[in-house]
Amino acid sequence: MRNVLAVLIANGAEFGRAEIEVLSAGSRLAADLGGTSVAAVVGGSDQSWAREAFSYGAVRVYVAGSPALTHYEPRLFADALEQIARSADADVLLFSSTISGLEVAPLVGYKLGASVIMDVTGIDGKVEGGGVRIQKPVFGGKAQSELVAQKAPVVLSLRMRSVDPLQPQEGASGEVIEIPVNVRPSTGTWRLIERNLEKSGGPRLEDARIIVSGGRGMGGKENFSCLAELGDVLGAALGASRAAVDLGWVPSTWQIGQTGKKVAPELYVAVGISGASQHMVGIAAAKHIVAINKDEKAPIFQMAELGVAEDYKVFIPKLIEALKKHKTSATT
Amino acid sequence: MHLVVCIKQILDPEIPPSDFRLDSAGRGPAEGIAPQVISIFDENALEVALQVREAAGEGRITAISIGAESAVDALRKALSMRVDDAYLIRQADFPALDTFGTARILAAALGKLPPADLLLCGRESGDWYGGQVPAFLAAQLDWPYTALVAAIRKTGSEWNLRRQSDDGWETIACSAPAVVSVTNDAQNLPRIPKVRDNMLAFRKTITVWTAADLGLTSESGCGPNTRLKTERFYIPTVSRQCQMISGDSVVQRAEELVEKLAGLRVI
Ligand SMILES: Cc1cc2nc3c(=O)[nH]c(=O)nc-3n(C[C@H](O)[C@H](O)[C@H](O)COP(=O)(O)OP(=O)(O)OC[C@H]3O[C@@H](n4cnc5c(N)ncnc54)[C@H](O)[C@@H]3O)c2cc1C
Ligand SMILES: Nc1ncnc2c1ncn2[C@@H]1O[C@H](COP(=O)(O)O)[C@@H](O)[C@H]1O
Repeated sequence: MRNVLAVLIANGAEFGRAEIEVLSAGSRLAADLGGTSVAAVVGGSDQSWAREAFSYGAVRVYVAGSPALTHYEPRLFADALEQIARSADADVLLFSSTISGLEVAPLVGYKLGASVIMDVTGIDGKVEGGGVRIQKPVFGGKAQSELVAQKAPVVLSLRMRSVDPLQPQEGASGEVIEIPVNVRPSTGTWRLIERNLEKSGGPRLEDARIIVSGGRGMGGKENFSCLAELGDVLGAALGASRAAVDLGWVPSTWQIGQTGKKVAPELYVAVGISGASQHMVGIAAAKHIVAINKDEKAPIFQMAELGVAEDYKVFIPKLIEALKKHKTSATT
Repeated sequence: MHLVVCIKQILDPEIPPSDFRLDSAGRGPAEGIAPQVISIFDENALEVALQVREAAGEGRITAISIGAESAVDALRKALSMRVDDAYLIRQADFPALDTFGTARILAAALGKLPPADLLLCGRESGDWYGGQVPAFLAAQLDWPYTALVAAIRKTGSEWNLRRQSDDGWETIACSAPAVVSVTNDAQNLPRIPKVRDNMLAFRKTITVWTAADLGLTSESGCGPNTRLKTERFYIPTVSRQCQMISGDSVVQRAEELVEKLAGLRVI
C-alpha cells in the first residue's frame, strides 16, 4: 500500500478543521507506509484548497474536471471520486466523518469493492508485514476493535477530532492534476433546495473553549435557561445529550456524542448527564470535564475530573453567584 | 405508495459497561448479557415512515430484517407500531455475512416485494456502527442516496428530505425511488405502541424467507470480508480519577469548584 488519498469534498463550506485532519492523517499514514500522500478535491472550490493540501504534506492534488460537479450531489461526487481513485492508483482513501463524508465514502467504497470502515478513531501504518491498522470503538465504546487491512483498496472515514493536525508548511507546493471524469447522467434527481443556518447566539460548539451541556436530568425545556445563564457567566457554548434532543428540549444541532458533534473544549461542564459511552466519545478531546449529577453513582463520575454529586437546581444558582464573585474579585 | 424499512436487531446498547463481557472467542459480546432490541436509529426510521404515511393518508409500510429467529421480536415491535407487513430473512443461511452481503440480500428481498418508492435505513447500526448498508443498497440499486435524514415529506413526485447540516438545517429534493438513512431528532422520537396494537401485532404473520426463497446461496458474494483481519478486540479500561467536591454547604461547594477551575486556569 503506497498511495494514500485524502479526499476533500467542497460542499459550500470553507477549508477547515475537517480537511486539515484528513490531510494530516493521510500524510502521517503515507510516511508510516513509505508511500505517497496525495489529495483529491471535488466540488466548487478555488485554488486555495490545493495550496492548503500541499502545506499539509500532499505532493499531488487531483481535481475532477467536470462542470457537472460544481454543486454537491452524492452520487455524482462518488462517481468522480471512483475515477480519481483509479487514476491515482489509490490504495487508501481517507474521508472525514462530515455529513458529505459519511454519505459519499461508502458509495465510493462500494464502487471500488473496497474494505470500508466508517468513523474510525485511529490509523497507523506500523504493521509488521505491511498494511494499515485501524482502530474503532464499538458497542458504545464498551469494546475497542483493532483491525488490519492488508489489501487495497481501503476506504476509511475519520471521526472528527481524532487526529492531531500537522503544522502547515507555508509555501509548500506540488502538482495539480486535472482528471477528466465522466459522470454519467443519473437515473434520479437530487438537489439541495434550502439551507438554513441555526444561530445559537454564543460561540460555535466545535470551536468553543468552554461548553455547558445538559441532559435528561435537566427535567424540562424551560430548565435550560439556568444553563444558559451559567453559559453566559462562563462565556460558554451550550450543548446537550441525545436524550435532551430526543425530548425536544433543545435543537438537534446541540447534540454532542458519537452521532452528534465532536468537541474539544478546555472545559466541559456536564449537567444531568449520566455519562453513557456514546455521549462521552463526543468529548474525548475535552481537556477538563466537570460533572454535576445528583446520583453519586452516575458513570460520568468515573470519567470526569471534578464532580459535584448534587441536584443541579440547588447547585447551579450558587455556582453562578460564586463565578460572578470570582469575576469581580479578579478584575479588582 | 410503498415504504420499506430495514431493521436490525441488536444487543441493547444502553447496558452499563460493567455488564459488558466478551464471548469465548473474544471477537464479539457474549450472548445473553443484555436483551435484544431494534437498533435505535431503525426505530427512528420506522417513525419517519409512519409519519410519511400519515401525512399522505395512504400507503403501505414493509419492515424487513436479516437476523436470527429472535429477530421476530423486532419485527413484531414494528408491527405493533403499525407497519403493514414484516419479513424475516434467515441469517443462518449466510454464515459469513458482511456489509456487502447484507446489502445484496436486502436488495434481493426488495426485488420480491411490490415496487418501493422509498427505502429507509438507520444511519448506522447501534452495535458495530457500520454506517454502510444504506449507501451500499443505494449504489447497488442505483437510486439517489441521502444520509442523516430527520424528516420526510412527499411533494408531488419528489421526496423532500430535511436533515441537519454542520451548522443548521438543509432540505433536499430527490426523485423516487430513493434510499435514505435516518438519524434521531425530536420530531422522529419513536412512538410507543398502544396495548391494542401490541395484541393485534401478535396475530399478524411474519413471513420468513430463506436464501433459496431469494434466489441466493450463501456464496452469492455475501461475505466474508477477507481483506480485514481483526487484530485485537478488547474492553478498554478507563482510569480517570474524579475528585469529588465535598464542602459542607452548597455555597462552600460552589466556591470550592470555582477555586479549582481557577486553579486549572480555565476561568
Ligand atoms: C448508536 C448510538 C448512538 C448514540 N449517540 C449519542 C450521542 O451522539 N450523544 C448522546 O448524548 N447520546 C447518544 N446515544 C444515547 C446514549 O446511549 C444515552 O442514552 C444518552 O446519552 C443518555 O442521555 P442523558 O445522560 O442525558 O440521560 P440519562 O442517561 O437518563 O441520564 C440523566 C442523568 O441525570 C441525572 N439527574 C436527574 N435529575 C437530576 C438533577 N435534578 N440534578 C442533577 N442530575 C440529575 C441522573 O442521575 C442521570 O444520571 C447514542 C446511543 C446509541 C445506541
Ligand atoms: N441485518 C440487517 N437487517 C436489516 N437491516 C439491516 C441489517 N443490517 C443493517 N441494516 C440496515 O442498515 C442500517 C445501517 O447498518 P450498518 O451499515 O450495519 O451500520 C441499519 O440501521 C439498518 O437499517
